[in-house]
Amino acid sequence: MDTLLLARLQFATTTSIHFLFVVVTLGLVTLLVVMQTAWVLTGNPAWERLTRYWGQLYVINYVLGIATGIVMEFQFGLNWSGLSRYVGNVFGAPLAIETLVAFFLESTFLGMWIFGWHRLGKGVHLALLWGVAITAYASAFWIMVANSWLQHPVGYEVRDGIAHLTDFGALLSNPSLGMAFGHVVSAALLVGGMLMAAVSAWHLIRRTPDFALFRTSLRIGLVTAALAITLVQGFGFAQFGPVGEVQPTKFGQGPEAQALITEWTTRFGPGDYTPPVLASVGLGFMILIGLTLGCVWLLLPLLFRDWIIRLRFPLWLVLLALPLPFVAVILGWIAREVGRQPWVAYGLLPTEQAVSPVGAPVMLASLIGFSLLLGTLAVTNWVLLARHATRGAVDPPLGRPPAPPNEPAQPEPALA
Amino acid sequence: MDLAWYALLGLFFGAYLVLAGYDYGVGLLLARGGGPAGRRAALTALGPFFLGNEVWLVAAVGILFGAFPVLEGELLSGCYPAVAGALAGVVLVTAGVQLRSRPTDERIRERWDRVVVVGSVLAALGWGVLLATLLQGVPRHADGHVAGVSHLVTPFAATAGLAMVALVAVHGATFLTLRLPAADAAVVGRSARRLVPVALIAVAVATVVGVLSDRVRDAVQRPAVAVLLPVLLAAALFAARTALARRRPGWALVATGAALALPVALVGAALWPYVLVSTTDSGASLTVADAAASAPTLRLLGWVALPLLPALLGFQAMCWWVFRGRTDGRAPVYW
Repeated sequence: MDTLLLARLQFATTTSIHFLFVVVTLGLVTLLVVMQTAWVLTGNPAWERLTRYWGQLYVINYVLGIATGIVMEFQFGLNWSGLSRYVGNVFGAPLAIETLVAFFLESTFLGMWIFGWHRLGKGVHLALLWGVAITAYASAFWIMVANSWLQHPVGYEVRDGIAHLTDFGALLSNPSLGMAFGHVVSAALLVGGMLMAAVSAWHLIRRTPDFALFRTSLRIGLVTAALAITLVQGFGFAQFGPVGEVQPTKFGQGPEAQALITEWTTRFGPGDYTPPVLASVGLGFMILIGLTLGCVWLLLPLLFRDWIIRLRFPLWLVLLALPLPFVAVILGWIAREVGRQPWVAYGLLPTEQAVSPVGAPVMLASLIGFSLLLGTLAVTNWVLLARHATRGAVDPPLGRPPAPPNEPAQPEPALA
Repeated sequence: MDLAWYALLGLFFGAYLVLAGYDYGVGLLLARGGGPAGRRAALTALGPFFLGNEVWLVAAVGILFGAFPVLEGELLSGCYPAVAGALAGVVLVTAGVQLRSRPTDERIRERWDRVVVVGSVLAALGWGVLLATLLQGVPRHADGHVAGVSHLVTPFAATAGLAMVALVAVHGATFLTLRLPAADAAVVGRSARRLVPVALIAVAVATVVGVLSDRVRDAVQRPAVAVLLPVLLAAALFAARTALARRRPGWALVATGAALALPVALVGAALWPYVLVSTTDSGASLTVADAAASAPTLRLLGWVALPLLPALLGFQAMCWWVFRGRTDGRAPVYW
């Protein structure tokens, strides 16, 4: 096997696992902000219980988001050193900004949020969660800026074969950025809403205790999912225009695509410049799933007088539909990423030039090792998530009140 | 401009080794027994700081990618096994610490704790080997690529990796001495003092092997710095031992922290103006200036970083301040 294929497989595996966890992170944190804000504003303990229960699932899910994210970040240097060599001056900037502006603060805030229950003032504790959410969105934004640059390189000039940054503003107004960012963020909300609704549906089907709590989260989840799916569809279809313009080869073989391929053949030599069929197949299925999930609107009238719970079968529908948004986000990602092949930076840097000059055995060992490691951790994480989801909202470890005080409250100074 | 960014890169990676160093040290010490309650107490001591410590690595690599893209590609792919090993260790520790208490069964928790121990060893070894590799030079050819993986397998890299494991263990034990309830702190303080000579010997062996290695002698541009900084490192360890003996765990932690940051300073200063010294072709050595991104990129990142750094440091300091002091019965337990 050649290094290029192995490196691409590894990127696909790591990114897919990463994506499955970060969409949940982004979606759930938004709903957590709503719930904790409601708790602080109303003082109603029901909101605190909701925050602790869903916060527990959020924090478990977050673990794999970080673990896979760190591997992603290193993978650029390990497997794709050509990317940093030829386009690092431009592509590296948004990634560096993401780590500093977003991820650094997100994790710092989250650590304080987890351990800050009963220790910090309610307002400070809520502000920390807002901080986590805002930085999570900032993180998604800068990653999409970086990714959009690979989809459609702008704001650079090539000198001595290396891209140099000329106009950072162009990266932010990249036509492949705006709609895609909206699409990804609303997809995350859809996943968060669906997850919340499906877990609540399971509890309501099983008639576990805490009817009121799961009734509330079912309603929040379904309304969020309904609003989000409409946004997903809107931002999704709105992308066809700009993407078709900047990436004519992505969706087909029109005259523009042919002209571009002729131009590339003269500049880069003959080669196969059409993306694999996988991309458009994935796109087709994703659209089907997106249209199916639009039916969630039909469930909203059943929220009236709890008909959705009394009829029971709609709860089954919600529960069984849970895998769909996850499949859709992976397919969408494949459509975007595979659809830009054979380029790593569209029309600028061929994928084969970006791969690191390491031996195939090293790359194979890395692929197998990290896939096994992250795959095992992902499955373990999902099992833990399922266990905590089904265990119910009775005293989750997150936010558990501490034992009564028996020691002096004033800590001794560290540098005495 | 290049120098400022290089210093910032060193600051972030050094801060990562200092802060996550005690995570890994505490992780290593989970292997020394102490029963379920003892291990849980050690992780509770890490508690609120854990998530804020590892982010320094992510930020360091972000700076590496944004400000030194050529170095990022060559360093990581050229030292593949060391980086991949450290990375696997980081992932294991991250997942292990955060997930170990989610199952309620003590036997499963114990298995997770073993994962944390293995991860901590891997991470410390990997970063030690990576720093040693920089110091002994890499086979960078005229085409700009570092070839092969066999250059990592040297006695110096091995001893430096082990020295890093020993340093991390001392650092973790010192952290626990500062953080655990006073009764438990006395016990762990004694192990910390016993670990100091082990770390001293490991550092001494690595230094001697390094001085004897032709590759290290050829790669080092400033021998005076390269000799002075290990001496300072040893002095920091002696200071830590004295502070531990006088029951000043805070100052001891400052000293062991300095011991973990000094190797980064050593690599940066001893190789300057180079960052990757080629062992095969002296013309192929990479200077810091050549490795840096072009001026517009550095300027842009400078405008972003300048107002941001106080905020980053401020929020980290807030975390240290809010959760300062020894853990007690009221300390929040989650990991």
